Amino acid sequence: MERNQMRRQVALTRQSLFDQGFLDEQFIQLEELQDDANPNFVEEVVTLYYRDSSRIIVNIDQALERNPLDFNKLDNYMHQFKGSSTSIGAKKVKAECTQFREYCRAGNGEGCMRTLQQLKKEYAVLKRRLETYFQ
Amino acid sequence: MAQAIGSASQRASGFGSGGLPRNGGSAKGSGSSNRPRMTWKNNLNALVVDNERFSQHVEKGILRNFGVETEAVETGEAAVELIASGATFNLIFIDISLPAMDGPRTAMQIRAMGVQSKIIGLSSSLTEEDEEEFLRAGVDKCIEKPLTTAWLVPVLRELDGQI
Repeated sequence: MERNQMRRQVALTRQSLFDQGFLDEQFIQLEELQDDANPNFVEEVVTLYYRDSSRIIVNIDQALERNPLDFNKLDNYMHQFKGSSTSIGAKKVKAECTQFREYCRAGNGEGCMRTLQQLKKEYAVLKRRLETYFQ
Repeated sequence: MAQAIGSASQRASGFGSGGLPRNGGSAKGSGSSNRPRMTWKNNLNALVVDNERFSQHVEKGILRNFGVETEAVETGEAAVELIASGATFNLIFIDISLPAMDGPRTAMQIRAMGVQSKIIGLSSSLTEEDEEEFLRAGVDKCIEKPLTTAWLVPVLRELDGQI
């Protein structure tokens, strides 16, 4: 009984991540790569994502302190960040990445900074939600 | 991140049993969840040369899931050494930015060793210049990361058909 309740709770937590727009189908593709031989694949991938991408965020932060801003460099960093965010199905984070890149192309430094703040929020919220889910 | 492997594998097998809504896509075969989605006439194997651990993990996962035995290394030098020691691969993925010897130079060295396998250049941000440099170095094709199953399946089919 209790085990079924737990499974149901986990299922609901997972479904809410999709319903609330945090994750998209790409996450499901990752789940489909998980099997008995690799039972922790999704959690491993997500852990690596947060580890690797946090470094990119540091690079972006540093690049935003430069004067004048190198929008090309910023765009390249964000492209990389967007790529890995896409790979794990981080829908809201991905949307902020796209917005950031648009501001880069427009040479809008303030827009970039504002978007980065929003991106960091989404990134942190998703991390908390996924941590809860994996627990 | 929680590290409870025991409970994680319980959850994993729970999700595999398909009680949850999924977006279309091909489910794994019923019965053994270890069975890859496709079977090949030949034993296909691949080498991934990528020092970005996140993408390396995803690339390995996708390839393995399709029944392709996959090895991964993080430097061009390690790839060259592996091949020099006699290892052969049907498919080689090389990331453009590697420490020390970069992707194109790695591809050049591998080709110079007489390797005729299909080599795919990978980049998280593929520019025209990158692509030209990689193609000149001897890769067959360049793609932008992330590697997707949609891209991979026809390539594997083609390879399997050619062997």
